[in-house]
Amino acid sequence: MIEEAVARSVIAEALSRGGDFADLFVEKRRGYNLRLEEGKVEENNSGSETGAGVRVLRGESVSYAYTNDISEDSLLETARVAAAASRVEESVSIDLEKPLLFLPRLEEHPVELDAEAYPREEKIELLRRADGAARESGPHVVQVVVALGDSRQELFVANSRGEMVSDSRARVRLIVQVVAAAGGEIQTGHETPGMLSGYELFRLFPPEEAGRLAAAQALTMLEARPAPSGPMAVVIANGTGGVLFHEACGHSLEADAVYKKASVFMDKLGHKVASPLLSAYDDATLTNRWGSFSYDDEGVRASRTPLIEGGVLRNFINDRKRSMRDGVPATGNGRRQSYRFVPVPRMTNTYIEAGTAKKEEIIADTRLGLYARKLGGGEVNPVTGDFIFAVTEGYMIRDGEVAEAVKGATLIGNGPRVLADIDAIADDLDFDTGMCGKDGQSVPVCTGQPTLRVREMVVGGTTEVM
Amino acid sequence: METTTDLKALAREWVERGRSLAGEGVELEIFVQEHRGLTVKAFGGEVEGLRYSHSRGAGVRALRGGRLGYSYCTGLAWEDIRKAIEEAAANSRFSTPDEHNLLPGRGEYTGEDLGIYDPEVEETDSARKVEMALELEGLAMASDKRISQVETAVYADTVSRVAVANTAGAAGYYRSSDCYCYVFPIAREGDEYQTGFSFDLGVRPSQLDLATVAADASERAVCLLGSSSITSRRTTLILDSFVTAEFLGMLASALSAEAVLKGRSFLAGKVGETVANPMVTLVDDGLLKGAPSTAPFDDEGVPSRRKELIEAGVLRGYLHNTYTASRSGTDSTGNASRGSFRDRPRVGATNMFLLPGKGCRADILRQVGDGVLVLQVVGAHAGANPVSGEISLGALGLLVENGQPVRPLREITLAGKALDFLRDTVAVGEDLRFLPFEGSLGAPTVAIGGVMIAGRG
Repeated sequence: MIEEAVARSVIAEALSRGGDFADLFVEKRRGYNLRLEEGKVEENNSGSETGAGVRVLRGESVSYAYTNDISEDSLLETARVAAAASRVEESVSIDLEKPLLFLPRLEEHPVELDAEAYPREEKIELLRRADGAARESGPHVVQVVVALGDSRQELFVANSRGEMVSDSRARVRLIVQVVAAAGGEIQTGHETPGMLSGYELFRLFPPEEAGRLAAAQALTMLEARPAPSGPMAVVIANGTGGVLFHEACGHSLEADAVYKKASVFMDKLGHKVASPLLSAYDDATLTNRWGSFSYDDEGVRASRTPLIEGGVLRNFINDRKRSMRDGVPATGNGRRQSYRFVPVPRMTNTYIEAGTAKKEEIIADTRLGLYARKLGGGEVNPVTGDFIFAVTEGYMIRDGEVAEAVKGATLIGNGPRVLADIDAIADDLDFDTGMCGKDGQSVPVCTGQPTLRVREMVVGGTTEVM
Repeated sequence: METTTDLKALAREWVERGRSLAGEGVELEIFVQEHRGLTVKAFGGEVEGLRYSHSRGAGVRALRGGRLGYSYCTGLAWEDIRKAIEEAAANSRFSTPDEHNLLPGRGEYTGEDLGIYDPEVEETDSARKVEMALELEGLAMASDKRISQVETAVYADTVSRVAVANTAGAAGYYRSSDCYCYVFPIAREGDEYQTGFSFDLGVRPSQLDLATVAADASERAVCLLGSSSITSRRTTLILDSFVTAEFLGMLASALSAEAVLKGRSFLAGKVGETVANPMVTLVDDGLLKGAPSTAPFDDEGVPSRRKELIEAGVLRGYLHNTYTASRSGTDSTGNASRGSFRDRPRVGATNMFLLPGKGCRADILRQVGDGVLVLQVVGAHAGANPVSGEISLGALGLLVENGQPVRPLREITLAGKALDFLRDTVAVGEDLRFLPFEGSLGAPTVAIGGVMIAGRG
């Protein structure tokens, strides 16, 4: 994408006024988005984007400049802008005489049915299959929206350590949203299969199944009673429940939050932070997973990072800056939404490892509680660990059995306290896809967990417990 | 890359050249956007980050007998635009025809100075902007001895240039400048931490009041120290303007004609009905002088204007773009909105605000007597559903007794229905403040009676 000699002169220019490290990130991205709503294809959008960013690191300080023009002159000018941000001029001790060398190009995430070669007609047919299955689920289904997005990102990274990396990432994701209505009540359901792959995604996750699952959620919640308020045992279902760990703990394990003392885990490395039953990992190497890649957006090799093992905090996840500054190995979690953003430590595929219990046993062992089948979005205060989550599909557990559906429930709690209060973990680890937002940047992630139980959590609802 | 000195002329020229390229019966629109900006982040008395941005791009909307195709590119050479026009035209073949897919014609744009651009942004050198971020952080640190650190302090500005042209005759151009600053201080006492937040915005750097931002943010963190939960109860909520703005965001979604037409709004079918207490008047004004979302025309070239959405409690209408207006048999309200050149126009609020009432916050607390002053809500996007109108949010705030705040609260949730919140509004304050949330939302302090609160106590 960029000649070695050009990359080297851009990095030299970036460091012309000093700095500890500099890099150049270049990307070309092509994307296609389709949206079917009210049975009509009403969005049919494709585009291409090219951009580059130059970064200079000096101590804790980062300066960054970006442009849409990747000609040599423009890249050099962008490097000069990034360099000029230095407030003090100093000599550079980094050797930029030697040629930059490519790290091996890896093809770890095979693409079988390439998005660009996949016919538009067939993409539309996928939308219609999901739409049809959702509508056939019942007469109360009043709205179905199906969105399909695919993208191909070609990236190039070169840095002052003499490394160059190039990689290609193909992603496909389907989003099905269903609205069901009856008797003045409106409820929604959604399903979002996605992979770092081509259109073979739909062999593993047929669009009909996504349509049916989303519809089933909305229809079930239509029958739901208002959720009760108060503390109770909460069983969180596998798959989507992983978002709770991601939000309530994962963000506090990102090394930039730790450095800023904006993390409940800041002094806890090597300490017991969770129930001994719990181990959790961040793993960008999982083949074809939505949050995977071979190299991160700083050209660092992807890895599997133990976060918590047997309840003990093992690692934070970092980017190049935090790894350099904190003197710890890079975990390959430097990610950015695009060339317009500075990379920061981000999760990839983050999950709680499977336990040995059976889901049925966990529920049978719960006298009164909430079964959170699906969680929606949530918010967390990373400093305190306090969080709140919407339960988008929930049921009461009564005398060891899943009972009536309840709506409007939220889970309110504190990350570390919940980790300590997990008293059962099942063997049914599953993943869900999402887009994670941080510092105004959105990146693809997977969240995963097996079915597990939290001894007690505050459930926010609108009625008293009966 | 050529400099785009006259974006409007360029957009017009591309539309003309594209007309023949796209073929018979295809209408075209080209939307061009350019941003230049600087963001400075201060942390620990140092510049943590400095980001210079320069981005540009064009979006092409093609309509072929009501079939919509879209494409975009970041290059502004004719070769790039030509490819995007061809792609948009090709995409349109695969969309479902909809007779309401129309381009707006030529519109009369206001000749008045809207106060949305000030050259001071470009004349102020970066060094001064860096100082402002550092100064904001320093002021927040020094504001109270319980402020243990500042998570981040930011100064940022952008100069934007926007042009739109279409084959139906619309053509317009404007430029705007936006400056803002914000700070997140952290207050600490013993093992307890609380985060505060405040910001200011304007069209030029010298408008930003750093001292007030620092003091306000710090106060919002410090006042929550020592918080605990309470027992579940039904009570009156006094919503801080930041919190009111979160609810207005939910209303803005529900008032979009797109959501209404698609059955995704709890306000559908309620025009002419009383949906709120008569003290509630909600206005959307795209021409409000100097406001963050003000522009002569919307994102498809329809002139901006002011409209009352809820007038003294009665729902008057929804926000429309050309498409939703045609489907509803009405006129566009100038509310076409797009995230960027990468997206086709949808519907969005411009500057949406609650008309201020009487009394400052202290007056409202006295009027209410006993209740909960809500300072922060969490889970706003999960727990405030514009489709069903259901609200279920975590909250932090202060317990109010006899008109006085008595102790800080955490780990509480509030729940109910948006329509009940609107009808049970018991006070609207005079302290209107604009927040740059999802466009620009203006909210004063508001009190709502009889809301269910759940707690741990």
